[in-house]
Amino acid sequence: MLVIQIIIAGLQTGLLYALMGAGFSLIFGATRVFHAAHGATFVVSGYAFVTCLKLGLPLWIGALAAMLFAVAFGLLLNALVYRPIQRDRGSFFTVFVAAFGSVIVVQSAMEFFFGREPQTVGSSMTRSVEVLPHLFVAPIFPIILVIAVISLGAVASFLRWTSVGLSLRALSDSPSLVEAFGLDPKKASNLAFGIGSALAAPPAILIAMTNGINPAAGAHVMLISLASTIVGGIGSLVGAVAGGILLGLAENGAIAVFDTQWSEAAGFVVLFAFIIIRPSGIFGARITR
Amino acid sequence: MITRRGFVVGAAAAVAAPAVIARAADAPYALGTLYPMSGLNAEFGDMYAKATSLAVEHIAEEKLIRWPIEVRSQDSQATPQGGAVGMSRLVNVDQAPYVLLGFTGVSKAAAPIGERSKTVMVNGGGVGPDLANLSPYFWNVIPLANQEISALVPYLAAQRLLKVAVVFVDDPLGQGMLAELQKRLPTIGGEVVGSYSIPPTARQFGAIAARIRDVKADAVYFAITGGGLLMQLIKQMRDNGVDQPLITYSVGNLPSLASLPEANGLVFTGQSADWSSSYPATKRFVDGWRSKHGSDPTIYAQNYYNGTRLFALLVRELERTGAGVTGEALLEQRRRGGKFDFSGGEVSFDENGLITSRIQVSRFTSGRVEVLRAGDL
Repeated sequence: MLVIQIIIAGLQTGLLYALMGAGFSLIFGATRVFHAAHGATFVVSGYAFVTCLKLGLPLWIGALAAMLFAVAFGLLLNALVYRPIQRDRGSFFTVFVAAFGSVIVVQSAMEFFFGREPQTVGSSMTRSVEVLPHLFVAPIFPIILVIAVISLGAVASFLRWTSVGLSLRALSDSPSLVEAFGLDPKKASNLAFGIGSALAAPPAILIAMTNGINPAAGAHVMLISLASTIVGGIGSLVGAVAGGILLGLAENGAIAVFDTQWSEAAGFVVLFAFIIIRPSGIFGARITR
Repeated sequence: MITRRGFVVGAAAAVAAPAVIARAADAPYALGTLYPMSGLNAEFGDMYAKATSLAVEHIAEEKLIRWPIEVRSQDSQATPQGGAVGMSRLVNVDQAPYVLLGFTGVSKAAAPIGERSKTVMVNGGGVGPDLANLSPYFWNVIPLANQEISALVPYLAAQRLLKVAVVFVDDPLGQGMLAELQKRLPTIGGEVVGSYSIPPTARQFGAIAARIRDVKADAVYFAITGGGLLMQLIKQMRDNGVDQPLITYSVGNLPSLASLPEANGLVFTGQSADWSSSYPATKRFVDGWRSKHGSDPTIYAQNYYNGTRLFALLVRELERTGAGVTGEALLEQRRRGGKFDFSGGEVSFDENGLITSRIQVSRFTSGRVEVLRAGDL
């Protein structure tokens, strides 16, 4: 039963990683912007949710606010930070430094307005119940599962079946071709930031409820998003999801076999294994030189 | 042979020297602080800084010393690396003869730098047992973990909580506390039935909770540095079906934990505190804290208030004798013995630079601290 329990814990963690990784992967795949501030989007969204609930607003308003703040933050960052740098032909490295700086600004702002202590919201949905002898599952687990499937399914369908989604995929392949066909790369880029940032809201809400959130949480989220993207294959939405779930299962599965302190290391062993054996990731395209 | 130019330079230097010396003497006293001001443990740094600031204000109002205190701060980030870098700056750039710091890992990283430069370091937050013998220049105004566990063990025996699972961060504090529990529990017929080390960056503890449930412990003890991590652990343990009593050391006495519903019933040890005391130094501290921050202070705040006050009390004695304020002089002055008028009462240090204090076992009950038992150590 311990193994099943650990698999459930791994799946729950993995689904949250999958959502975070998918957002980062979508933005990076479509715009080639190394959006290191994806973790900051997560923090902004989480604090919006917690603040609404602490003000006594209903859960759905908190969730809506988290989504709106995430999208607004992503779009503003694209418009006010990344675009001006790209307009001046700023290098990949300049964009990375600007994104990293944004993470620090957000962290300091959150510390200033909300204090340095972690924030959390109590909910009976996070309390596990014994569904079978020695097998505990929290009511929030099926909710996470449903949210992850709906969010990722909706984004995947949008990218596959709509013309705007198609332009987004085209942008990742060839920005100049998008312009040649009369499509607007700026709009497509905004769309990528909007959708990718929106994907940070569900994990921000769920982590605020299950773990609590603090101003410094963004760095860890960013690391996981990046690892999921590399393991799954850079630019592949399905890959980021698979990578996130694999990392979550590896982290928790290691606890069943090794000393508990190696749980996080297990996730990164998976990452290094992919970098060495299959650098293109699970669903990434191999590049022949 | 003295040339005319050499004579002029020498004469000018002789005329200027007293002015330079006088200016140096007029300069404020540099007090270094090495607190975590960013990262997961910034809540502690914030609290320590507020306490230091309040003490500096009170010292100036009381005119305890001749010149003002100027606080020079570095962010330790609660990491050994941050501690070493910050301490080097405080010693070499700020030339602070006295540094307040906290956290076991930070203290152990900073101590050799402080000892080399003969800088006094005062810890009010770290409780790792090996902080007792780091250096003659390293003093503790907080009882260490072994003293806290000594006070906890009789409570565990009385409650028949004999099988204890320990969750710890694999750092000097965590290792020290685990060793202390493994040593002390058998004396009451108890044992550590499981020990689970976690990385300080870990955030998901559902699988660890499953393993803790599996060993059927009577209680779960957390030897964790940092309130943020502790909060996440407590919440996830409760959420994942760990219903046993949860116990920790003085780190548990945090306002953010008191307000966490899952932390209701959390048992923790720590120095005795009586915020209603009429002892003048205590009353001044408690009243000052309440008027500034609108809440009762914590033990940590009191420790850093006392740490700052200790600097002023030592400097006052040095001013009387006309000695310069250096780390060596401060150490000598403390070694001369005597009691220091702290918030909480008069205290004295032993030869290792440790204070002795009453320890109490407390519990959060509906967001308030309920004292269960207290004893002299």
